[in-house]
Amino acid sequence: MEVIINKEDSLTTVRLIGRLDTPASQDVAQNFEPLMSDAAGTIVLDCSEMSYISSSGLRIFLSLRKAAASQGGKVIVKSISDDIRQVFMMTGFLNLFEIQ
Amino acid sequence: MDISDNLKTLARKSAGTGLLLIVVAAVTLEATSLIQYLSSQRMLKQEASLRAESELRATRNQIMDVVDQAEAAVHNSIWIARWCLDYPDSLAVVSRRIVEENPSVMGSTIALVPGYNPKLPLFSPYVCRTADGNLELKSLATEEYNYPAQEWFTEPLNYGFGYWSEPYIDEGGGEVLMTTYSVPVVDNDGHVAAVLTADVSLDWLTELVGSVRVYPNAFSVLISREGKIMVSPVEELNMQQNIREVGKSAKDTANFNQLADGMLSGKAGNVSLKQSRRERMFVFYAPVEKTGWSMAIAIPDSEIYGEIRRMSMLVTILMLVGLGMLILILRSAAKNQLKVSALKEKKDRMENELRIGHNIQMSMIPKIFPAFPDRKDIDMYASIVPAKEVGGDLYDFYIRDEKLFFCIGDVSGKGVPASLVMAVTRSLFRMVSAHEKSPQRIVTLMNESMSDMNENEMFVTFFCGVLDMVSGHLRYCNAGHNPPLIYTDKIQFLPAKPNLPLGIMPGMSFAEQEMDLNYDDALYLYTDGLSEAENLSHEQFGEDRMVSVLKTCKNKNAKDNLEVMHKAVSDFVGEADPSDDLTMLFIHYLNDMQPDETERHLILHNDIQQIPQLAEFIETIADEIKLDQGMAMSLNLALEEAVTNVILYAYPEGSDGLVDIEAVMSKDKLKFIISDSGQAFDPTAAPEADVTLGVEDRPIGGLGIYLVRNIMDTVSYARADGKNVLTLTKKL
Repeated sequence: MEVIINKEDSLTTVRLIGRLDTPASQDVAQNFEPLMSDAAGTIVLDCSEMSYISSSGLRIFLSLRKAAASQGGKVIVKSISDDIRQVFMMTGFLNLFEIQ
Repeated sequence: MDISDNLKTLARKSAGTGLLLIVVAAVTLEATSLIQYLSSQRMLKQEASLRAESELRATRNQIMDVVDQAEAAVHNSIWIARWCLDYPDSLAVVSRRIVEENPSVMGSTIALVPGYNPKLPLFSPYVCRTADGNLELKSLATEEYNYPAQEWFTEPLNYGFGYWSEPYIDEGGGEVLMTTYSVPVVDNDGHVAAVLTADVSLDWLTELVGSVRVYPNAFSVLISREGKIMVSPVEELNMQQNIREVGKSAKDTANFNQLADGMLSGKAGNVSLKQSRRERMFVFYAPVEKTGWSMAIAIPDSEIYGEIRRMSMLVTILMLVGLGMLILILRSAAKNQLKVSALKEKKDRMENELRIGHNIQMSMIPKIFPAFPDRKDIDMYASIVPAKEVGGDLYDFYIRDEKLFFCIGDVSGKGVPASLVMAVTRSLFRMVSAHEKSPQRIVTLMNESMSDMNENEMFVTFFCGVLDMVSGHLRYCNAGHNPPLIYTDKIQFLPAKPNLPLGIMPGMSFAEQEMDLNYDDALYLYTDGLSEAENLSHEQFGEDRMVSVLKTCKNKNAKDNLEVMHKAVSDFVGEADPSDDLTMLFIHYLNDMQPDETERHLILHNDIQQIPQLAEFIETIADEIKLDQGMAMSLNLALEEAVTNVILYAYPEGSDGLVDIEAVMSKDKLKFIISDSGQAFDPTAAPEADVTLGVEDRPIGGLGIYLVRNIMDTVSYARADGKNVLTLTKKL
């Protein structure tokens, strides 16, 4: 999975490209380390190119959401596919994130 | 046949008993009657005898009074007569005195023995009573009369004592019946000098004797010493005939002679005389002393026994009537018994035939369960409870070419006619389905046959199905029958077009329907004997109750379900009579080894980096069974979560192990069997994640197994042979 992070002032845009499965989550978790410690702004997770997410991916999303919440920032999940929206619905994540 | 023979024998025996009873009754009655009759007869004869003898005695006494009076008059005058012998002119005075003083004496004379008085060779002054009551003196000493030759004169002289003459008709003195008592008169020297007589009128005798009537039709006869008939009811005989002469013309000569002998010898006795073929008379006789007469009283038997004969006639008639009635009663009883026997025999035979009919019916339908003990893919149970001995419900099933042919039907009407149609329907089903595998064709062909020969307007509601045992594909055709229930994870009515019942009219078209049965699905077929079973309040069992009863059964075992239903309907109906045949058929489809299913195998090391291989694995499967992308992703997710769990938790970190993933695909189901040889780990034991919690409270983990459960239809864990086996299934 390819992760492209673009930070402009307080707005951080993260493009997630590919499958966020369990092994990918391990890499993505490392990529997210800086975001976690600096989550006071707005982080937009652009999922338009993400085709899959497993529970480990969801855990990263939730960890980031928790970090943002503690730092006064916010996380926006953008352009998820219908299939992934199903997973979000199933797990109650639709209520935890701002979905665009 | 033995039974009917026995019944006939029994009936004959009871008829024989009746006859015997009649005979015994008749004999007893007859004997009683006879004894009574004979004893009564003896008593009556005794009574008659007593009465006759008493009458004879009384009559004789009356006669004797007169006789004694006459004798006394005569005897009392003998001494005067003797004294007057020397004065013949005074002899008439003696006679006159006798007549005057004795009213019964009509005349009297003292006739001198010729030669006693030389001066008077013949002398007999006769004093008699005239018709007007005066006395007249006559002389009997005439040449014409020649008294010394007369009996009344000679006999006393011969015997030397008083003599009563034979009765005679006094021609000179008013044509009356007379008799003369005469005694010799001896003079003082001891010479016989004269004969003193007294003529006694016997007119009173006729009256006296004629009046002796001990019985209305009895009569009396008085005869003289010589046998002359003095008095009898037959005028012509009186003083004309002798008893001996009468005896010659008598019917019963022997007895009559015995009677005559008895009477003439001066004895008393009785004789039974035969008068005619049927009638006898009883004759009692007794002598009248001094006169030498004999009197007889004749009593016809009918007089003596008349009453008892009438009585016995009545008794006999009553007895015959009684016997007749007894015979009639016994005959009708015997007839009734025969009728009852015949009816019972008929009833028994009918019941027996119905029982045979029932057995034949039951032998026509498969009754042995489990029906297919060698097969694991089907569990069937059926039952049929006819409301009467034979019924019009039917079911049938059999497997041919790996297809289960089954049907259920309900013939309109009940009893024997319905059972015959049922037999025809079942036979047709077997015949037609032997060559056809389409339920629609089977039903159509059956309808043609049944409509053709249906003259009694009977029809059959019929449901026919053909289940492909391999694929679970069910084709069915309904002909007006109650739609069966289909029992999957829920219970609902099988969508079944009603169509017309069989036998209504030829040329009908029937719609065929189809559906697929999965493993553990069940079909529940029934007749309206179940849904319309009524209790005493005429409430119907109803389809809702059927469904809820099925739900109470914990499993889909065919036998259990039918037993639960039977109990429920029997509890519901209670004391009410079963109104209709009750038939149920439960088909539990258990084939999970579908041959067109395919297996894919993937073996991974316990390395998280191998997880992406799952995506390829799923992609292959999705291509193979044409899954859409969303489904493929869901399955990928569930599988990944399950396998990740194994990699992370079953094997201790750093140890090497394998994860075996087997995918079993059929066109409607996908099954993953994930097994590993790691330490026992049951992911299904993890607590359910609460997906409603907010960000702060939400734990990071625990979503994996949650996703597996939500995506898959079944998740089951088993530890077997040192392996963790997790089975996931997904219906497609």
